[in-house]
Amino acid sequence: MSDNTKQNYLNHPKGIMSWLLTLDHKRIGLMYLVSGILFFFMGGLLALVMRFELAAPGNDILSNDLYNNAYTLHGAIMIFLFIIPAIPGALGNILLPLMVGAKDVAFPRLNLASFYIYSFGALFALYTIVNGGVDTGWTFYTPYSTQSSSNVVPMTLGIFIIGFSSILTGLNFIATVHKMRIPGLTWYKLPLFVWALYGTSLVQITATPVLAITMVLLMLERFLGIGIFDPALGGDPVLYQHFFWFYSHPAVYIMILPAFGIISEIIPVHSRKKIWGYKFIAYSTLSIAFIGFLVWGHHMFTSGQSVFSQIVFSFITYFVGIPTGVKIFSWILTMYKGQVSFTPPMLYALSFLFLFTIGGLTGIFLGAVALDIHLHDTYFVVAHFHYVMQGGTIVAFLGGLHHWWPKSFGVMYNQTIANIAALGVFIGFNGTFFPQFLLGLRGMPRRYATYDEQFVELHSYSTFWSGILGISIFIAVMNLFWSFIKKNKVDPGSNPWGGMSLEWTHTSSPPHPHNFEEEPVLQHGPYDYDKVIVEKTYKK
Amino acid sequence: MSEHHITPLRTYLIIAACLLFLSGVTVWVSYVDLGPLNIVVAMLVATIKASLVAFFFMHLLWDDKKNLVMFLMSLMFFGIFVTITLLDTEFRGDLGLNPETKNPINKRAAFYDTLPLTDTHGHPVDEHSDHHDEDKDHH
Amino acid sequence: MSHHNPDSPSHLKHYFYDVNQQYETSKFAMWAFILTEVLTFAGLFVAYIVYRSWYPDMFIDAHKLLDVNKGLTNTIVLITSSLTMALAIWAIQKNNRKLSVLMLVATFVFALAFLGIKYLEYSHKFEVGQLPGEFYSYMGPDAVHLNNPHIFFSIYFIMTGLHGLHVAIGMGLIAWLIYSTHKGNLTSEYYTPMEMIGIFWHLVDLIWIYLFPLFYLIG
Repeated sequence: MSDNTKQNYLNHPKGIMSWLLTLDHKRIGLMYLVSGILFFFMGGLLALVMRFELAAPGNDILSNDLYNNAYTLHGAIMIFLFIIPAIPGALGNILLPLMVGAKDVAFPRLNLASFYIYSFGALFALYTIVNGGVDTGWTFYTPYSTQSSSNVVPMTLGIFIIGFSSILTGLNFIATVHKMRIPGLTWYKLPLFVWALYGTSLVQITATPVLAITMVLLMLERFLGIGIFDPALGGDPVLYQHFFWFYSHPAVYIMILPAFGIISEIIPVHSRKKIWGYKFIAYSTLSIAFIGFLVWGHHMFTSGQSVFSQIVFSFITYFVGIPTGVKIFSWILTMYKGQVSFTPPMLYALSFLFLFTIGGLTGIFLGAVALDIHLHDTYFVVAHFHYVMQGGTIVAFLGGLHHWWPKSFGVMYNQTIANIAALGVFIGFNGTFFPQFLLGLRGMPRRYATYDEQFVELHSYSTFWSGILGISIFIAVMNLFWSFIKKNKVDPGSNPWGGMSLEWTHTSSPPHPHNFEEEPVLQHGPYDYDKVIVEKTYKK
Repeated sequence: MSEHHITPLRTYLIIAACLLFLSGVTVWVSYVDLGPLNIVVAMLVATIKASLVAFFFMHLLWDDKKNLVMFLMSLMFFGIFVTITLLDTEFRGDLGLNPETKNPINKRAAFYDTLPLTDTHGHPVDEHSDHHDEDKDHH
Repeated sequence: MSHHNPDSPSHLKHYFYDVNQQYETSKFAMWAFILTEVLTFAGLFVAYIVYRSWYPDMFIDAHKLLDVNKGLTNTIVLITSSLTMALAIWAIQKNNRKLSVLMLVATFVFALAFLGIKYLEYSHKFEVGQLPGEFYSYMGPDAVHLNNPHIFFSIYFIMTGLHGLHVAIGMGLIAWLIYSTHKGNLTSEYYTPMEMIGIFWHLVDLIWIYLFPLFYLIG
């Protein structure tokens, strides 16, 4: 396997139609990757505009109305157009069949349909942006969302449509994991990224339908005044929140579980050590997926629900920290006495451990009703979820991209620049968001374009470091794409990090259109560094 | 002939007969006043019917057990959604014990004051000219 | 790693080992889809339960404005259509193409009848003003004392409407099945689409089994 001109999924079959009508999961994954990164930059730009506005008190570049549009679109784009679809869609699609030894997912046509449905829904979101935006916040709380003259309907319609994409992807992955593993590949021999995608998919198919019906009810409320969320018509706005968060809390686990899976892949490989606590990590994934459905009311502590349910939600919320903690300890124990190499993926994984832990712990603080009464809708919450979503998921995503880039595309990026960018991301991220914890504790509210003089110092630090963060992410991503342009090809048989799962040991880089030249025979588990020696090979 | 399990014709016909019978039962029971038990009986009968459809018509009795697990999981999550939401809506105010604070939003919508009274066909009734209807108007 | 063995059936996709794996995978995925449908309707059932607990008397009195006879007829129609759907699969498993098509046509006709009766119900409600939300205008002697009956009708229309939409979608799928079976594309060797659409159709019946008592037989 040393012929660089051999057939792989990128160059075969050829022609634009073979891409637009592809049934190859790897090509579909690549299309998700490109769209995802596009929307990520769009959302990121909005964030930088917001940070620029917040550098000084008063309305500098945005009126209050424009600011409302900015944070709504930032949230909606990042959540619905990037994090939820793109990470399972990109890395999940490219890797899942490879990791289970299958030639494709269970339903490739459905997979392509998923992508087009996602694109179609995204068009509605894009329409909203150019047509004057939407200003309700990404949560679309009633009664404002039923009365606002902004583009609530196109945006919620877009989200409704993208939800179907999410569901179809989830169905596909679940069927693939259950039914398409090669003989001998039992559940406990699967890479943990597969467990993560499985857990994510279960959450996707269970939670997303409720989002769908919530968006429908919202639109009906707007058009028909059906009255179920409007107190003037005998309805209840808090009921909308129950419906919305029943999806949106599990949604945050859709966002983080794949990231956990990526970390579970990077750490053993780049420490050349068997993962510690495989079953702990596998079962904690399923526990988090399940417990995540029981805690949605912790987003509603100040909304007026009954005290009884506040207590129940708060109590159960604490439990979700336990399986999460189990994972963190398992990863750390994996590194202990391993041969840790400070490669770009590993730097991102280490960043993840630090940043996600802070994010996760501050989530526990917010789970205490007494604290949350003061911290709800302040920058403390903003800092918390950025630590888990960006410091967690996006850092893990960047790590995953750097880890699987040579496998997926047969090219290697400049590791020095990648390392510097990773450091920039870590420092820039902390600089941007740590001050926001302090801002929140001191009372700075969310979703305000202007603020009192006392907050200006912390806000200006946050803005400055957000620039560093933005530049670092940009460099990291451009460095990856540059490897394409420079064509730093690696040998198709290479295994630069010494990975032991099927995608590393049995496919070429980039993989053959049908993944495997011969059906793989399972010889060892994905992390058996104690039993087998796998060389790191990387020849240009 | 297919290699898969084929349900006998007799089974299908018997199950269909049971379903029709149970539909009749549930209508009949609704005319008997059992107080709060009415809803319980109605849901019980509905669940028996649903089980017959799921196990026999949808083949879950003979299928791979994973399919049944998938279906039961959906019901479990529905149960979670309902139960925990009711923990909020049933216990508002003073833990739901004070009817005044429990449903403060339970007020009649304003638009009803502008609606004219109608007859059973939905046509507005002219209050002042038709004296026969005056008694019925004041419920 | 090619399954392109010339003896393989044409419907066997190259990424499956054998027809059985393909069949079982399709069925399993269909049940996962059923899970998503249950969760979709779950939201509406939650709305029903919450509002019924907030307006118990209004629900009991407002439901009297519905026609139990039409509801019962629809229940019978749907159960019978479930039977004919199951028989269509039974027939194709025995490779009796003609009987299978006949049963599918019967299912389609029953589905049409269901929608016809629903149309009669809906048009009556439109006529008298028993409409959802702000469009509600019926103030007859049996309704004038009700507190916010528009909520009952909102939930009634949304739930039976979404259910009716599923009946209509089912009819479209069954029509495709009629065509496909008639052409000979589906046989006792390969009838997976019929099996999957059958499961969908039974789900539609299942949901009505709960909607019927909850709307037509309260109290």
